[in-house]
Amino acid sequence: MNLNIDAQKQQTYDAIVVGTGISGGWAAKELTQKGLKTLVLERGRDVKHVVDYPTMTKDPWQLPHANKLTEEELKFYPVQSRTNWVSQANKHWWVKDTENPYTEVKPFDWIRGYHTGGRSIMWGKQTYRLSDLDFTANAKDGVGVDWPIRYADLAPWYDYVETFIGVSGRAEGLAHLPDGKFLPPMELNCVEETFRDKVAEKFNGRKITIGRVAHLTAPLPHDPSRGVCQSRNMCDRGCPYGAYFSSNASTLPAAAKTGNMTLKPNAIVHSIIYDEKKGKAIGVKVLDAETKQAVDYFARIIFLNASTLGSTFILMNSISNRFPNGLGNGSGELGHNIMDHQYRAGATALVEGYDDKYYVGRRPNGIYIPRFRNVGDDKRTDYLRGFGYQGAASRSEWQRGVREMAFGEDLKNSLMEPGGWSIGITGFGECLPSHSNHVTLNKDKTDIYGLPTLSFDAEWGPNEKAMRKDMKDSAAEMLEAAGFKNVATYDNPDNIGLGIHEMGTARMGKDPKTSVLNKWNAVHEAPNVFVTDGAAMTSSACQNPSLTYMALTARAADYAVNELKKGNL
Amino acid sequence: MNRREAIQRTALALGYALSAPAMMGVLNGCKASPELSFKPVFFTEPQAQTIAELSEIILPKTTTPGAKDAGVPGFIDSMLKEVYGKEAQDKFIEGLNDFEEDAKKTLGDGFMDLKPEQRVAHFKKHHDEALAAAGKGGPTGWWNAGKDGDKPFVLKMKELTLLGFFTSQPGATEVLQYKQVPGPYHGCVPLAEVGKAWAT
Repeated sequence: MNLNIDAQKQQTYDAIVVGTGISGGWAAKELTQKGLKTLVLERGRDVKHVVDYPTMTKDPWQLPHANKLTEEELKFYPVQSRTNWVSQANKHWWVKDTENPYTEVKPFDWIRGYHTGGRSIMWGKQTYRLSDLDFTANAKDGVGVDWPIRYADLAPWYDYVETFIGVSGRAEGLAHLPDGKFLPPMELNCVEETFRDKVAEKFNGRKITIGRVAHLTAPLPHDPSRGVCQSRNMCDRGCPYGAYFSSNASTLPAAAKTGNMTLKPNAIVHSIIYDEKKGKAIGVKVLDAETKQAVDYFARIIFLNASTLGSTFILMNSISNRFPNGLGNGSGELGHNIMDHQYRAGATALVEGYDDKYYVGRRPNGIYIPRFRNVGDDKRTDYLRGFGYQGAASRSEWQRGVREMAFGEDLKNSLMEPGGWSIGITGFGECLPSHSNHVTLNKDKTDIYGLPTLSFDAEWGPNEKAMRKDMKDSAAEMLEAAGFKNVATYDNPDNIGLGIHEMGTARMGKDPKTSVLNKWNAVHEAPNVFVTDGAAMTSSACQNPSLTYMALTARAADYAVNELKKGNL
Repeated sequence: MNRREAIQRTALALGYALSAPAMMGVLNGCKASPELSFKPVFFTEPQAQTIAELSEIILPKTTTPGAKDAGVPGFIDSMLKEVYGKEAQDKFIEGLNDFEEDAKKTLGDGFMDLKPEQRVAHFKKHHDEALAAAGKGGPTGWWNAGKDGDKPFVLKMKELTLLGFFTSQPGATEVLQYKQVPGPYHGCVPLAEVGKAWAT
């Protein structure tokens, strides 16, 4: 009896954070810096900054098979390799699909990284604010439910997060893509500058800007351990300089420094423990990934940052008399309204001239064209919402040699010169929330830990399809207007999920009858449980979402600690 | 003992003399089968010799290293074994066999038995035909000459040679230029200041 009490004490913390990715790292940092003894659980193996980046300094000739996976290796990654990004240089960051099964009622690309830092190691670093165009959209269109917050609620937290992580970008003064606390912008290349100027001229001031990215272009006074971007563009291996933001380089070291963090890798959260008498969540049940032993940990508040579908899975698997259909699922919306961003539709062109211009460095960034559809006076009748574009101009290199008539010495000589310029842009389009796009818990298919798995039933709807057509047409229109040649649209169909911006499934809202989380990201029905990753998203906007998860997390952590101090949680 | 002596001794031991023309034939075969610099794991020795010659025809040694110097034949052998699936392997070998058969049919000898200039001409014939059949391709750098599996043998060969060569240290650093740590990005620089094309 006493032993049990002692054991329980040892396993009791002020707070538990589930997940160490982009939002989990932020929860860990904020809660520990505010003085809470915090247990941070990671389901995968531990990855320490720099020391666990085995390929970070490998030159091309040091990677086998020109960086391509072998047939044998590919067998582990049938889903992850749908991205075409799994390589010798980064294969250790992607889950082995053979060990992490799920069911696709309709095709869904579930792209994951299970290790300390999660996908913050492999993310694209594009960093944009949402605005009231986004936060009011559902209410205005009568789609889904209204966001319970507005831009003013999040703006100071965007400031706070950007200042800490370091975001390079250019202020453009757009109300619907608010400027942030920017480090110096990266440069456009010569062709991109021309494209920017021509589009502004021909489309009434339409903006093209350099991508806003979480890369340091100047030192961070508050974090001298992180260095400035060296344009290696080998980010997906982990950065030896810590030049891009990841949990491993930034938030987790800050949390560790407080002395308040206990980081436990190989800890798979089975469920949240709900105490019916107390009427609140009291901890989490954890499976040790190596021994498969179950251990309970206890805390006064719990932050779920296990990734959109990871967090929703935990809520769905937290069954009690009070919550027979998953913790906090009184609304029936848990698992519903999956969203993603559609992309891989746009246009390309050849660019004449500029033969005497080139660039130095591999810029881990491109151009960004902020949304211009259904903004201000622009009104589409064929679809709601809009899209932004990402892209780049570049000169062709040795790869072009395959199609050249030359071979032998002539080919060798010609490839020593850079080839012609081309430019390409792809839309990133908003996806509407739809109740019919959902996941369910599949108890018939269990994983190696005996846990149920997720079953996906989601697809792009008519609004996304109509928008996709315009993503191609508007891209071609701008490239034509800029005077580029051989303009061609493209449309490489993508399953939902491939954007790796999965969102929704535990949406925020004002009404517990129609939403899972309140305006502080707390579960309406279990207010000491917070979900601050992509699961919380009420609409998807078209901007890359990670910055918003970080801002929501910092804001929720501040609220949670204040409420704890007041004795309300 | 050199090969000529060895053959003559063998002939003597067998009790007959080789005529001069027959001797030349044996020696030509000898010349046409140079030592491979690697032990093939996928190709047969004769196939590997053809692959090595083709890679050197595509990117020869000049004042800078060529495909063989950069280890391209071994790279291609390993790619076929480890990275290509069964279907793509079969298709590649089928293409290689057709290439060989066509040499015999039109030039009277297998590829490795041809004179160097005949080998180049035979490659050029197949290469030019394949490019003509593929059309002009799309507007951007990711043009493919047909989908991955459809690319004719000679273009697969060219693609693998370029890939192996320009990701090798000699190709990336002596023919093109490469910096692992370029430093801050500069987007609009006179080509004259940069010099050669970047390997990556």
